[in-house]
Amino acid sequence: TAGNKILHFGACRVSMSMTEIRAGFTAIKANIQARDPIRTLSILSYPHSLHKLNSSDRCCITHHLFNFYVDKVFKHCKTEDSYVNRKISSIANSFLSMKRKLGQCHEQNQCVCGQESSEKFKQILANYEGLNVTSAAMKSLGELDILLDWME
Amino acid sequence: EEALLPAPQNISILSTNMKHILTWSPVIIQGETVRYSVEFQGEYERVYASESWIPISECSLITATVCNITEDISASVAYNLRVRADIGARRSEWGTLKGLFNRNTTSLTPPVMKVIADGYHLLVELEDMGPAFQFRVLCWKKGQERTMQQKVVKEVSSVVHLDTMEAGAEYCVKAQSYVEAINRNSNFSQTQCVRAQGDTSMWL
Repeated sequence: TAGNKILHFGACRVSMSMTEIRAGFTAIKANIQARDPIRTLSILSYPHSLHKLNSSDRCCITHHLFNFYVDKVFKHCKTEDSYVNRKISSIANSFLSMKRKLGQCHEQNQCVCGQESSEKFKQILANYEGLNVTSAAMKSLGELDILLDWME
Repeated sequence: EEALLPAPQNISILSTNMKHILTWSPVIIQGETVRYSVEFQGEYERVYASESWIPISECSLITATVCNITEDISASVAYNLRVRADIGARRSEWGTLKGLFNRNTTSLTPPVMKVIADGYHLLVELEDMGPAFQFRVLCWKKGQERTMQQKVVKEVSSVVHLDTMEAGAEYCVKAQSYVEAINRNSNFSQTQCVRAQGDTSMWL
């Protein structure tokens, strides 16, 4: 089924339409990644993979990353291809829906931010700002499966 | 100067079982073929992407007055839709949907089902309503509602085995559909009852 995923972050439960997001991303992954010339550099995984993060910080980094994609990334990913733009819209609107749910967790203090997640997020922003905005946005979008794999 | 084309009117969405169809009234211009184009705008575009609109290529310059927007309405946020008319170089203003549309308002119907008594086995065949759907199936021995059992069916395969029946006894089944993405379910279907093979007197 359009597998919803119930993500448990401590006391916080967030339901996510993971299958829909993955289907949207898989449909445009090759197109997006082909637009990223510097494949050796990573925004999400440099210098350390998300998997190294302490599980207690997962909620906070997830919250930060959803804000990052909604606030910074998607708007700089417009392409000349209408089909790709429609799929990006689909992902962006799904992220917006979940950013809101995660925000509720954050407000209810069920999404504690430790030093580790703050450090990791600072690093991600530094990686992002080290490139020109369109390249950084396309690269981040191309790495969406890294985020989805880590979340699952 | 040529009169401006009137904008399409009565733009609305028919949404049933997570299938969303946009419809509008035709623009009538004697002796002319009017073509229509559709665009959508999700909440993300409204709030974060300068209220941009995205064309639906399958519904660009079409003559029909319907457009299947299911694939683009793929998140549980509020969407806006608009339609424009064209005749050659002449173009209308945009006609916009009255109010926004969120897929969690879709109307959900119970699944079509077929209950089968296969010897002592109680089976049910469920309609395939699409990837977003799961089903909750209830079955019980007729007259003994307290024996009611529930089965959640996540993948619609051909036939679902519900129970093993007592000889000659009558069993009843009803089902409802459930969509996890919007966390809503339909009403229950009509109850269907079947009788197991064999004779109840065997037990006397």
